[in-house]
Amino acid sequence: MAYVATRGGERAIEQSQRLFREEMGTITAERVAEIRRALPYLIDRVMGEASLYDEDLAALALAQTGGELYEAVLLLRSWRTTQPRLAVAAPVTQEGLFTHRRISAAFKDIPGGQVLGPTLDYAHRILATEVLSDQAYTPDPVEPAAQPSPARQPSVAAWQAENDLLSAAPADPTAGNDIPDITREPLLFPSKRAHTLQSLARAETGGVLALGYAAQRGYGQAHPTVNELRLAEGEVMVQHPRGTTFSAGRVKISQAEVVNKKGTQLELGFAATLGWNEVKVIAAATLDLNSEGAAKGSATEEEFFLYHTEGVESSGFCIHFKLPHYVTFQSSLDAMRDAKTKKNARQAEPAE
Amino acid sequence: MPDPHTLANYPHDVMLSILAKADAVRIKAFAEVLIPQLGDIAVLENRTGLVMLPMRDTAKGVNFHLGEVLVSEARIAVDGRDGYGMRRGRDLEAAMAMALIDLAVASGVSHDACAAFLDQEGATQTAADTDRLKRVEATRVDMETF
Repeated sequence: MAYVATRGGERAIEQSQRLFREEMGTITAERVAEIRRALPYLIDRVMGEASLYDEDLAALALAQTGGELYEAVLLLRSWRTTQPRLAVAAPVTQEGLFTHRRISAAFKDIPGGQVLGPTLDYAHRILATEVLSDQAYTPDPVEPAAQPSPARQPSVAAWQAENDLLSAAPADPTAGNDIPDITREPLLFPSKRAHTLQSLARAETGGVLALGYAAQRGYGQAHPTVNELRLAEGEVMVQHPRGTTFSAGRVKISQAEVVNKKGTQLELGFAATLGWNEVKVIAAATLDLNSEGAAKGSATEEEFFLYHTEGVESSGFCIHFKLPHYVTFQSSLDAMRDAKTKKNARQAEPAE
Repeated sequence: MPDPHTLANYPHDVMLSILAKADAVRIKAFAEVLIPQLGDIAVLENRTGLVMLPMRDTAKGVNFHLGEVLVSEARIAVDGRDGYGMRRGRDLEAAMAMALIDLAVASGVSHDACAAFLDQEGATQTAADTDRLKRVEATRVDMETF
């Protein structure tokens, strides 16, 4: 692979950026606020893939890039590098999540019951075209129950462990800066589980879905059933200089467990991400479930899926092919011409 | 220096958690009133930064990093006594307001007003959570299989 330095594009580059931004026009605080208000699930997806939780910054990145998601995520990942890390919060646990949606496809009567929360799973997919004829679409209001749902729900996996359906996971004492962190150390294989789950948490949704779907269709070893899916909020527990632990606020978290029968017990795959993005976590948990013993180069092998679902690296590699490759390509053309000349010369030689 | 004061009805962690989620406009307005009563305030830190948020995996029990959360932080002092604020988001003034209230409480200043502010904000937050959870409860499935 060889690149070539070129000149003469300065004005073209400047104007091309202006042409791109011209379409979006003036970006105002009001526009950013409207994007944040109107597109919470897109904001969540961008925050998860950027691995940076702040709705305003995510909305700004979307406004600035016209919704070009790879550019938006790259902007946020870049901006993140300008900020100091002030602390590592206490680990969020499933039982501590403020739960908005919690379902299981594996067990009907899970402790705490099933709450659908906000979802379009059972909706008719009908485009409200009347809005385009100036008729506003206002959704029917929720009819609240008399009593609130419990904010915190027990873990389905813990209940299964109590019933000897799976082995209870021992609590990991690792905390703070001792938790492996792929933003500060390289991803090596076989991957540490903390690296695998962190990579999946910040992976590109489409990439995770494509590979997870491949596993679900049969290119994996285990067929997943959703053991527990949660859309929730987690508390960001930090420490006051005097040592008091308190919540600096809540963030949205999605979490999925998928389950498969293995011998006399169940085995779990797990994934979670910042923001509400349930397709991503179900697909990612499927990859986690299938990764053990996966064949080298298969969609469910951890090196394969972790490298290929890292959105900033993969989109960056893809678009780098637009950079001037004139030396490489000219060399290929020269080789082609040379081969053609030799071939023609051989054909022109009289037969003996 | 004597131990920092606390509010009778609000342990330090509860107070801080309410302040971190308090309405930004109201907390700034309330903290503004405290400033003249606190003396010469030294601002030690007022910045944005990131807090890494780990989570525990339920399959193998491993702690891993979900991602980073943008926060605003403020640390102030009067006569060697600290006030501290950290809130999600990039509102430096709101973090400073939290630090001012923390300092006021630690210094024994305006405890009644601070407690009243916490009563109001705590009630608002609880009401918002309850309202949301009643909406969530409306989606509970009373499932029968055939």
